[in-house]
Amino acid sequence: MPHLSVNPSSKPNCSTVWLISVLLGLLAVHTNANDVLTVPQQVSLSTNMDSQQLSISWLAGAATTFDLMILRTELNESVFYETVSVMVSQLSGRHEWNWTSVEPLQCTSLSIKIRSREGQSTSEWSNTEILQGSDLPSEEKCQMFPPDRVVPVGANTTFCCIVKEGKQFGTINYGNTVMNTTRLSRRSYATTVVNQGLSGSSGTNLVCYNSFKEIEIGAVVFVGYPPLPSDFLCETHDLTSAVCLWNERRNTNLYKTRGSRYMLNNRTFTLSWSRNPKKEYRVDHWEVNWTLVVVNPLGQYSLTDSAELSHRVTPVAPENLTSVAHATNATVLWQWKYDGYSSLALVCQVELTSQGYKTNHTFSGVGLRAVVLPDLYPYEDYSVQVRCGAQQNFWKWGSWSETMSFKTSSIVPEAPDMWVWMNKDYTGQVIWKPLTGRQSRGLMTGYEVTLWSPGESLQHTEILPPDTFAVPVNLTQMATASSDNMVMATVTAKNTEGVSLPASVLIPLRLTDADPRAVSQAVYTDSGFSLFWQSDVNTTCSYVIEWHNASCKWNCPVDWIKVAPGNTNVSIESANFQPGVRYNFSLYSSSSEAPELLQRWQGYMQELVPSSPVLSLLTTQEDSDILLTWGQIPLVSRRGFLLGYNIYISSGSQLTLLANLSDPGSRSYTVNGLSEGSYKFTVKAYTSAGEDTGATASIMLEPFTDWLILEILASLGVTALFLVIVTFLCYKKRKWVKKAFYPDIPEPKLPGDWSRSQAPLDVKPPHHSLVHMVERPEWDSSKEALVVIPEEDEDEDGQGIGDELVDTDEPTSLRYYNQVVDERPIRPRYPDSSDSSASSLDSARTDVTYTGIQTSGSSFVFQLDPQGSSEGHQPQADPSFCAGGGGGYRPQMQSRVPSDDTGPASPNPFPEPQAASGYKPQSSWQMDSPVDDGEGRSRASSLGSPTSIASTQFLLPDGEDHTEEKRQPSSSAATWLTNLLSSTKP
Amino acid sequence: MAARRTRGMTGPDVSRSTVARAASIAEQLRYECSILLELYREKESFTADVLVDGRLVSVAPPSSQLATRDKLWRLHSALMQCRSLLERAIAREEEELGGGKKGDYETQRKMVKDRLSYLLICTGELLKTAGGAALLTPSLEGLELDGPTTLFELKLWVYRIFKEVDYWTKTAITTLEALPSVIAKERVMPSRVRTTRSTRR
Repeated sequence: MPHLSVNPSSKPNCSTVWLISVLLGLLAVHTNANDVLTVPQQVSLSTNMDSQQLSISWLAGAATTFDLMILRTELNESVFYETVSVMVSQLSGRHEWNWTSVEPLQCTSLSIKIRSREGQSTSEWSNTEILQGSDLPSEEKCQMFPPDRVVPVGANTTFCCIVKEGKQFGTINYGNTVMNTTRLSRRSYATTVVNQGLSGSSGTNLVCYNSFKEIEIGAVVFVGYPPLPSDFLCETHDLTSAVCLWNERRNTNLYKTRGSRYMLNNRTFTLSWSRNPKKEYRVDHWEVNWTLVVVNPLGQYSLTDSAELSHRVTPVAPENLTSVAHATNATVLWQWKYDGYSSLALVCQVELTSQGYKTNHTFSGVGLRAVVLPDLYPYEDYSVQVRCGAQQNFWKWGSWSETMSFKTSSIVPEAPDMWVWMNKDYTGQVIWKPLTGRQSRGLMTGYEVTLWSPGESLQHTEILPPDTFAVPVNLTQMATASSDNMVMATVTAKNTEGVSLPASVLIPLRLTDADPRAVSQAVYTDSGFSLFWQSDVNTTCSYVIEWHNASCKWNCPVDWIKVAPGNTNVSIESANFQPGVRYNFSLYSSSSEAPELLQRWQGYMQELVPSSPVLSLLTTQEDSDILLTWGQIPLVSRRGFLLGYNIYISSGSQLTLLANLSDPGSRSYTVNGLSEGSYKFTVKAYTSAGEDTGATASIMLEPFTDWLILEILASLGVTALFLVIVTFLCYKKRKWVKKAFYPDIPEPKLPGDWSRSQAPLDVKPPHHSLVHMVERPEWDSSKEALVVIPEEDEDEDGQGIGDELVDTDEPTSLRYYNQVVDERPIRPRYPDSSDSSASSLDSARTDVTYTGIQTSGSSFVFQLDPQGSSEGHQPQADPSFCAGGGGGYRPQMQSRVPSDDTGPASPNPFPEPQAASGYKPQSSWQMDSPVDDGEGRSRASSLGSPTSIASTQFLLPDGEDHTEEKRQPSSSAATWLTNLLSSTKP
Repeated sequence: MAARRTRGMTGPDVSRSTVARAASIAEQLRYECSILLELYREKESFTADVLVDGRLVSVAPPSSQLATRDKLWRLHSALMQCRSLLERAIAREEEELGGGKKGDYETQRKMVKDRLSYLLICTGELLKTAGGAALLTPSLEGLELDGPTTLFELKLWVYRIFKEVDYWTKTAITTLEALPSVIAKERVMPSRVRTTRSTRR
């Protein structure tokens, strides 16, 4: 330590000494300090331009701490200034320190200086060492650093551009991107590309442009990955050499000089670029241990493998395959490339391909080079390839050989699968399935179809070309000529090698139309139509299931399959099945006898809605109801099993469901309760798939007037019929009618002088009697006068009067008269008459009395009451009446007119058969007449005098002309009836 | 007359058709060159205004005083240099920048090279027809076939070669289009001489 020493005892001379001492002390202190902090000497620089590393070394004694300063020389900018601890290198005896620059070291000149530090004390700076950059004025050309660079994906790289002397810097572009730059010196500019992605195969350009946008200089950077191999192993093919294999798990994106280099057990090699990641390299001799090293500019990777040769045998592919083919087998032969295989136990796989299907067969043996392939199809094309592996210590299969093809030889064909379709008569067709290539077993030349009747030796043979699979048959002639019940149809197939075994079906000649079995529904599933049936355990017959389109009836294109005995179900699938088509399935037993139909099904592959609506939809008005009727949808159009019908009524475009008829057999529906108006109805049939489009019909519902008219017409008709019947009855009973209403008038008897002032009236008894009504003007209709009294007829049979005369026009007069006539005693046989009868009789009586102003003819009305007639006539067959003598006739005047009114209910309007003494002419009536005053009166009274209803003449002295005149106005009906009666008079 | 007809069928007529064919090929080559340049600029992210100064092909300077044969020789020589440069460029490019999947650029590059060879055959025939067969084969000495050392400069060099091919293709079109009239004139002149001779006879 420098220190100061001071001596205070010295004399004035001593002051000089003291001053010198102080100066010496200060000098000593300064001298000690310089001895400890050595200034770094001999600073030297070395560089690694690729790694951009600067190595600095210097001599500085024992100092261990230094301040390092690195400046960009030209701009005097500090790049690095830190205190670092650096030990002396034992090897060189110098202090050494490395610094890595962000920018390439060529970008600009760097100045480096160092000083020692100890605590806060530092030495002097060393001499400045300058690392010359490439931007020196002496180097005028443009440059870029680093010129080419390979970097891993994601790396950051700094580039610098030194523009040409005299040019101005413009931009730096990375690809198409203009980069941010930093000025390092007068001519040098730097930019940093961060997180770089994969470059193209020729790298990514970094281009430096001058201020005129001219390219000054550029560099190329390649961005990729370090190598990453895997699955390294070695094997042998020839039992001597080794082939080592590995995979490149990723593409390094580096090619050519930057691509991967390989080293296998210290053998260096390169591989040409290939997209295939599987790499391999061959080594002449087997080594137990293997090491693979893969290197590229971004890194390296090593893999190892270890194995005995016998455990890594992968045989090569068999060569020169040949074959010896027969009909059902073939021998395949091949050769081995290496002789060593002859003693190698091998297992070989033979892949046989035929018609697109591959089968594998495995064989083994020492030095295997031939195998026999059994169970081949005749006349079949095959291709075969072979590969093998070591049977012991199997490692892996070798490569497949080249494919070799061969064809087996042909033999006679198989018997064809035949069937017979018969129509409802003796026509039909024999059909058979085309033989497949495997079934034909050779080149087909044709078919032979034979029909023969075994018992009658009748035979018909037909030769058909190989493309024929059906032939029509007509068994009518055989059926008539043969007594057999069967005809056998036989089909044989022929190819170049010969004729097949025959296939036969017996055809029954006694056809029946009856379908023996009910039809079931067949359900279609994913596997087809599933059919089930009952099987008799004792039967050993096989079955045939035949199917065809149900709408086909004649020579149908039928398909069939044969089912082995014992089966009770089968699924029918065919590419020909179509949705919406009904198929008939029939199960036949197949035995030595003729096929027997056992069961039938119908089914749809897929039910659809009917393709057409119901046919002939009609609407009919019935009273106030509407009857809808329709026809059946044709089978082809149903496209499903009909489940029923929906009836709709449409209002505008809206359909309203009226009814759902779940019976598919329904053909009509009545709509009730509709008021007058126009209606439109739609009928839609539906299946499980839904409704059809529907048939529509309209109707105008009208008021029901027609029926009223019909009722009126019917009533009129009934009335007319009634009249016809009455007329008919009258005609049939005309004798009775005549006797009842028109008896013959007996010859009048003149007991006394019958003279009068007038000329004697020559009275001749008429053939029939008519009542003549004479109307007299002087007659007072207001008087209660009687007009006619029924006159008893002198019936020879003693029959009484059956029919009554009715006059509905003069009831009052009648009643009045009744009071007169009812004075007569009531006959005992009448009281039991019913009221109606009584009424009827009363009416009859009244009828008789009405003839006030009408002709007698018009007053005849037939009483249709048969009861009244019978009661009035038959029981009245009074013997006394019958025995009344020929003078049975009894004039009405003999009836005493009672003074009292006995009422209108007198049941017996008819005159009682009494023992009359004789006819009393109408003149006597005057005496009994209530009014009898003079001749005129007598004439007038004669109108109301009792008169026989059969009388046609009045016994009046005059007025005959009047009488005749009065007869003229009689109605045509009366005339007709009169004529009728007259004409029927016997 | 027969001699004249025969000459007419085998001499100038053949040249004229060869010129037409050569011009057609040159047109096609120019089109393919333009596509190649476009693909290359796109591949290397070069802008269209990349300047390349100086010619790589060295031939005698153009002159209107040159005879047809000399013009053809000059053109043929330039195209031959172009092909040599192109082949070298392709080789260098494959060697140092190639690898990986081949694309449209590589296809177009090969197409241009093949078309240029075809054009050279045609111009060679024309040159032979024009009597230039006796001349020395165009020399390739002095060509910078080695190219630059840095990859970026190599890319610029390849681009310059493509531009050179493009330039000389256009020159070929111009030259070949001008040839028929020249040939026609030259045909007329000997005919006139012969006619004169005949007249003299």
